[in-house]
Amino acid sequence: MRTNWISLHHIPEGASVNLQKTLAKNPRWESGMELVQLVTGVFLLGFLQFHVMAVSTIILGAAAFNKDAQFLDEHYISYIGIPLVILAIFVHGLAAMRKAPWKFQEARVFLQHSRRLGHLDTWAWLVQIGTGMAVLVLGVIHIWSALLTWPIAAATSAARVQGGYFSFLLALLLVAEIHAMVGLYRILVKWSAYDRHKFVLHLIYATLFFVVLGLLALIVFLFINVKV
Amino acid sequence: MADRLLTLEIFRYNPLTPNIPPRMQAYQLRETPGMSLFIALNQLREEQDPSLMFDFVCRAAVCGSCAMLINGRPNLACKTLTQDLPDKITLMPLPVFRLVGDLSVDTGVWFRDLSLRTESWIHTDKTFEAQGLEERMDNPTALSIYEAERCIECGCCIAACATANMRADFMGAAFLNRIARFLIDPRDERPAAQVFEVVGTDEGVFGCIGLMACDDLCPMEIPLQGQLAFVRRKMALAGLWGK
Repeated sequence: MRTNWISLHHIPEGASVNLQKTLAKNPRWESGMELVQLVTGVFLLGFLQFHVMAVSTIILGAAAFNKDAQFLDEHYISYIGIPLVILAIFVHGLAAMRKAPWKFQEARVFLQHSRRLGHLDTWAWLVQIGTGMAVLVLGVIHIWSALLTWPIAAATSAARVQGGYFSFLLALLLVAEIHAMVGLYRILVKWSAYDRHKFVLHLIYATLFFVVLGLLALIVFLFINVKV
Repeated sequence: MADRLLTLEIFRYNPLTPNIPPRMQAYQLRETPGMSLFIALNQLREEQDPSLMFDFVCRAAVCGSCAMLINGRPNLACKTLTQDLPDKITLMPLPVFRLVGDLSVDTGVWFRDLSLRTESWIHTDKTFEAQGLEERMDNPTALSIYEAERCIECGCCIAACATANMRADFMGAAFLNRIARFLIDPRDERPAAQVFEVVGTDEGVFGCIGLMACDDLCPMEIPLQGQLAFVRRKMALAGLWGK
């Protein structure tokens, strides 16, 4: 039994001490979950921006895109990276979801609280939960459809975008970028003392940069004519 | 601006008469120059409704008793001037804390628990020498301790916190700010690893989701973002390396 700094001396009014909670309580696990959420989140953020930049080589032409795809393929980066990303998405999802208001009553309290308060940062949490769910669903479909036509090449990607995937990919780009950048904002707020009113602008510019880059790549894919 | 006719919609509920359901009651009041909500509420109670319950002590933003939701946002009624508000003002009691009645809540028990649970005094093995020289402390340390100690225990940060609203056992910014104060203090010999056992939990700093309403709405403008981040870093390190 560990010695407890606080509750050995004082049990707050209305709180009860019982067997199951005393045995289940483990700050190492609880702080560990937070760190798992942080590490997988940063990893996925890095992956997303790398992915958007890699895909945007299509702007330079199909040859550049294919060369990049081949490089990642030949050096086994895709074969290590993709399983890691899938694993990270699920671990991150599970870790982050542990705090969401799953109980109906909690959700009602949160929504009424947000409406009363009219506070943008508080609403941003709802955005984070919503975009997180969307990324989970759309991301799985996206990975699946890319794996179906493996290996990655300009021709197959262009065929996908031209075959009706344009709006799907645009939606995924938007929710993923918003989720990633709101997440980065939250990480900086939670772990640093930097003035968030200042760095939020840089984050907005960065988000716009990646969204525009991704959109350009999608538009090029929509109109490019690639011979297989 | 003065001389407006203000409408105050006030939350009415007395837990001692549960047969009368919670409701919003509207009062009208002529605005006077420099009127604060402290003045407005006292005038209402004197002239219109002696049954109206609310708390005030110092009327100078020192005691922290008059915190309430003013148009949905927690703030001190004594510090809020009606001239900064629209014609229609809604007043509600702080959430999370036990409702005494109408606008009055019991923050006292909550903050007494905080002091007892954090054992808000210096823990040291050194014996105090009443006649000896006081130990020196460098100025930045003293200032950062003072920064945390400016908390007037009004409860606005707790009321503004989504997590505290959803989960009654969450410690909240006032609690974690107090933890920060003792973690900074070099005279306090409690190791961070010991603090971790209680604060490195989902009821403690890792339950915080960083929505920063506490930081935005603290009437004393305590930099709570930095205070919470400091405790979070300390607790993460204590969890990883045990110190």
